[in-house]
Amino acid sequence: MFLMRFTERAYVDYSEEDVRQSFRSAVRLTFPNAHFNPTLGADLYNTYLDEYEYAEEVGFDGLMLNEHHNTPTCMGAAMNLEAAILARTTKRAKIVLLGNPLPIFDNPLRLAEELAEIDMISRGRLVSGFVRGTGIESWATNTNPVYNRERFEEAHDLIVKTWTTPGPWRWEGKHYQFRVVNPFERPLQQPHPPVWIPGIGSPETLIWCAQHHYPYIYLETDPQVTLDLTAIYTEAAKQVGYEPGPQNFGYLVRVHVQDTDEKAYEVGKGFLIGNAGVGRVPLPGDFMAPPGYNSREGAKRIVDQYRRYSLRPDPLYGGVDSAGWEKVVESNRVIVGNPDTVVRKLREVLSVVRPGILGVWTNDGTIGHEDTMRCLALMEHDVLPAVREMGKELGLPGPFEQAP
Amino acid sequence: MPEHAEHTIEVGGARIHYLKGGQGKPLVMLHGAEGSLGWRHYHEQLADSFTVYAPTCPGFGQSERPPWLESFTDLARFSLWLLDALDLSQVTLAGHFIGGWLAAEMAVMSPRTFDHLILIDAAGVQPQDGEIADVFLHGQEGTRQLTYFDPQQVAEYAELFQGKPSKEERDVQTRNQETLVRYCWKPYMFSPSLPGLLGRVHLPTLIIWGQDDRVVPLECGTLYQHALPNARLEIIPQCGNCPPLEKPTECVQLIRNFLT
Repeated sequence: MFLMRFTERAYVDYSEEDVRQSFRSAVRLTFPNAHFNPTLGADLYNTYLDEYEYAEEVGFDGLMLNEHHNTPTCMGAAMNLEAAILARTTKRAKIVLLGNPLPIFDNPLRLAEELAEIDMISRGRLVSGFVRGTGIESWATNTNPVYNRERFEEAHDLIVKTWTTPGPWRWEGKHYQFRVVNPFERPLQQPHPPVWIPGIGSPETLIWCAQHHYPYIYLETDPQVTLDLTAIYTEAAKQVGYEPGPQNFGYLVRVHVQDTDEKAYEVGKGFLIGNAGVGRVPLPGDFMAPPGYNSREGAKRIVDQYRRYSLRPDPLYGGVDSAGWEKVVESNRVIVGNPDTVVRKLREVLSVVRPGILGVWTNDGTIGHEDTMRCLALMEHDVLPAVREMGKELGLPGPFEQAP
Repeated sequence: MPEHAEHTIEVGGARIHYLKGGQGKPLVMLHGAEGSLGWRHYHEQLADSFTVYAPTCPGFGQSERPPWLESFTDLARFSLWLLDALDLSQVTLAGHFIGGWLAAEMAVMSPRTFDHLILIDAAGVQPQDGEIADVFLHGQEGTRQLTYFDPQQVAEYAELFQGKPSKEERDVQTRNQETLVRYCWKPYMFSPSLPGLLGRVHLPTLIIWGQDDRVVPLECGTLYQHALPNARLEIIPQCGNCPPLEKPTECVQLIRNFLT
C-alpha cells in the first residue's frame, strides 16, 4: 500500500456572496482575482509547503500535488514550482504530481525538461502524473476543448519519447511540431519516471491507462461507481494481455483525524468550503466541460454512473454539501473521526475499492494549519501504520511493490 | 406560400443537408452560430422573389463533417464545393453572424462565383474598440439574452427556444456547439487577414446590422464597409444581432431593394 498525502492548497479569504457576484456566479474561471491578497498568499504557500514537509516526517510515502487555474480552490497554478521546492527540501517521499494538464501546454518539451530537473533534484523521487485538466484549464489558457484528448495523447507521446529516445530527432505531429528534439537534461529514473493518471472516470482515459499499464487514481469517486470503472480498466487490460491488480489503482479520499470523533466531525466541515465538487455555489456545467471537451459517449456514461450511485445530484458541479454533511460522513465519502474511527472506516472503503495507492486528502477549505498539523501528527502513530498493515492483510500492493 | 423541401447532396464524401424553396434567381443563405433553425419566416418572404438555398454547414445539424475539415478557412473552401455541386454560379451569397463571416471568406476565395454579397451582423473582422461577445463563455442561455434587442418582437421565439427540447434536439445542439468550438475557438470569431483580403472583392455588397447588436458590435459593420470597395451599410434600429428573426420584414425588404 502506497500512502500519499494531499491538499488542494486552498485560498480561503472570500465569501459565498463574493462568488455569487462573479460572472455566472462561478468560484472558478471568472471569480475576480481582486479577491486575492498576495500577502496572505505568501503565508499560505509557505504554510502548505511546511505541511508537506511534515507529512514526509510522519511517514507518508508520497506528497501529492495538483494543478488548477483561475481558482481560489487550488493555489497550485504552477505545480511544478512547488514540486521543485519539495524535491530539494524533502529527502524520502515520492513527489507525486497528479498531474500536469498536458493539453494546455503549447510546448511539451519544456514540460519534459522541468520534470527531468525535478526528478534529478529529488534524486529519482518524481511520479509524473498527467491529466486532461478540467474544462476550466481549457478556458483559462484558451486551449480549444475539442482537441483536449488529442493534445493530451500527443503531448504524452512526445514527452515519453523525449525521455526515452536519444536525440536529436524531429517531431511532426498534428498539434505539436519540433525540428530538433534534443533536451540535454534527461530524467534520473530509467526508462522514465512512473506515470500515473488521476481522474473521475472518463472511459476513454481508463482504457488508455490500461493499455499503457498506468495506474489510474480515482479522485474521490463513489465506491460503487469506482467498481464499475475498474471493470472498464480491467477489460481493457485483459485485451492487451494482462490482469491488473491493486497496484493499477489508486483512490483519493478526504480523511481528517482529530483526538475525538466530535472534534473531527466539526473541523471536517471545513472540507465543504471551496474545493472541487464542494463549491459553495454550483459551477456552470459548461465551465467544467465546455462543448467538445468530453466525447458524447463518455459524457453520457459518466453522468449515468453518477446518477445511479452518487450522493450528489450534480456530482461535479453541485457539491457534497448538497447531500448534507451527516450523510456524507455516514457514507464514507469523507472520513472523519478519532484515529480508531478513521482506521475502521478506511477498512470499509479499502475492502471494497481495493486500491494499491491511497491518497489521503487531509485538509482543505477552512480547516486551518493547527488542526492540519494535529491531524498529521495523529496519523503518524495511530493511523498510517495500521493502514499499512491493513494493506498487507487485504492484499493491496502498491505500484512500487508490484509492477502495474 | 412558396413551397420548400429538404434535400441532401454528397460533397467531398460528406452528406450535406439543405433546404430549398421559392422561385427566381438563386440566393444562398448561410446560417448563424446556432446552426440551421429550419425554414423561417424570413426564408418564406425571400422565397417570394428568389430561389432560396439554406444549407446546413458541415458538422451542424444533419450535415456530416469530413474528418479533415477543422478550420474556418477549410469550411469556406468546402462551402464553395457545395455551390459547385449544386451547380450554382453567379448567385447571391448571404449570411448571418458566422454565416456572414463564411460568405465573406468565400467571396475572397472565389469572387467570380457571386454577383452580390449580403453580410448580416457578420463575424469575421476584429473590432478595434469593442469585442465580439464570447458566446461560449456566456453559454447558450446567456447568449440568447444578448442576441435579441427584445425577444418579444421575435415572432418565432417561443416556437424556437421556449419549448423543452427533445433528446434528438439536444443532441443536435450539442453537436452544433462542438462544431462551432472547432471552427471558431481561436482566434475567436475573426480572421486577422480578412480585412486586407476584402479589398479585392468588388462585388456589390449589402451590409445589414442591428443597431443594438451586443454580440458583434456595429463597429464591425463599419469596418466591413471600409474594407469592401463596393459596399453599403444599412442599420436596422431597435434590433439585436439577428435581424432575420427579430426584424424579418425590414431585413427582407432591404435585401429585395438591393437585388431588384
